Amino acid sequence: MRLEKCWFCSSTVYPGHGIQFVRNDAKIFRFCRSKCHKNFKMKRNPRKVKWTKAYRRLHGKDMTQDSTFEFERKRNRPERYDRNVTENTLKAIKKIDKIRVDREERHIAKRMKGNKAKEQREATKELEQSIHMVKAPSVLFKEPSLTLPTKVKVLQKQSEENRMEE
Amino acid sequence: MAASSSSSRLVRAVGRSLFSGLCNNADGLMRSTHKMMCNHLLFQQQRTFIQMRTSLKVVDNSGAKRVACIQALKGKKGARLGDTIVCSVKEAQPGGKVKKGEVHYGVVVRAAMPRGRCDGSEVKFDDNAVVLINKHGEPIGTRVFGPVPHELRKKKHVKILSLAEHIA
Repeated sequence: MRLEKCWFCSSTVYPGHGIQFVRNDAKIFRFCRSKCHKNFKMKRNPRKVKWTKAYRRLHGKDMTQDSTFEFERKRNRPERYDRNVTENTLKAIKKIDKIRVDREERHIAKRMKGNKAKEQREATKELEQSIHMVKAPSVLFKEPSLTLPTKVKVLQKQSEENRMEE
Repeated sequence: MAASSSSSRLVRAVGRSLFSGLCNNADGLMRSTHKMMCNHLLFQQQRTFIQMRTSLKVVDNSGAKRVACIQALKGKKGARLGDTIVCSVKEAQPGGKVKKGEVHYGVVVRAAMPRGRCDGSEVKFDDNAVVLINKHGEPIGTRVFGPVPHELRKKKHVKILSLAEHIA
């Protein structure tokens, strides 16, 4: 029994699922569900469709090079059954899966690292530039609480000094 | 046009370097798909049962080129992948074993209509094709071209399977 990969979205096709199309040159296209099959019939390129694995890999959204993918590779030589090997394999599957998930998480975290600061910067800029659309500048001048807090520390120090003198 | 083609080539090159053998969708696929798409635009096979007057390609060296189904030997609506039909030869090569106008039995070795497999998945092919057999169930020709489904074994057409180039 072999778990094949969907031609369109690269997900696993379990036995009894999906449809396969055999072209006249005997190339087999396997599809995991009718969604992928329909997209194939519409002649869409999986590299240009955003939800496919091919697109995500091509655009650096997913991990592409990792040693954990080696275990999932297609092998054409059948393995002779050995109870111990099978037992170890079953144990290793969980471990490898965990490592892969961790690495993928790390990959995404790395990709998203600069985003929060960037958003904050952009928001600040927008607030500074277009606050006049919400409140007239004259009102802002009277009521400084509407502007962003900037360098209040210096003022506090001065007031403390004043108190000391008193 | 030239600009677009060059840019697509560039994209492909970038893709190849990124994929670097890890992806199961090999690069060759993409190019071959394109070729196939062009084929599809030219000719799209109707996806129905093989019934009266269905024209089928003959994929052996019996001499016939095209046959028309005149009777399906199984099924109320018509024949499907792996079924036997009676067909009349519409086009034949000169000097072949089979002449135009003759009536023969044939096994449907490829059908555009999806056929369920024993595990619940489905299989379909590019076109409707047939291999001519005699009344004892032996193929008339000595070669079979293109892919054939492994379901033929269940239908006891082992000879066709052994002659076939590819088994899907």
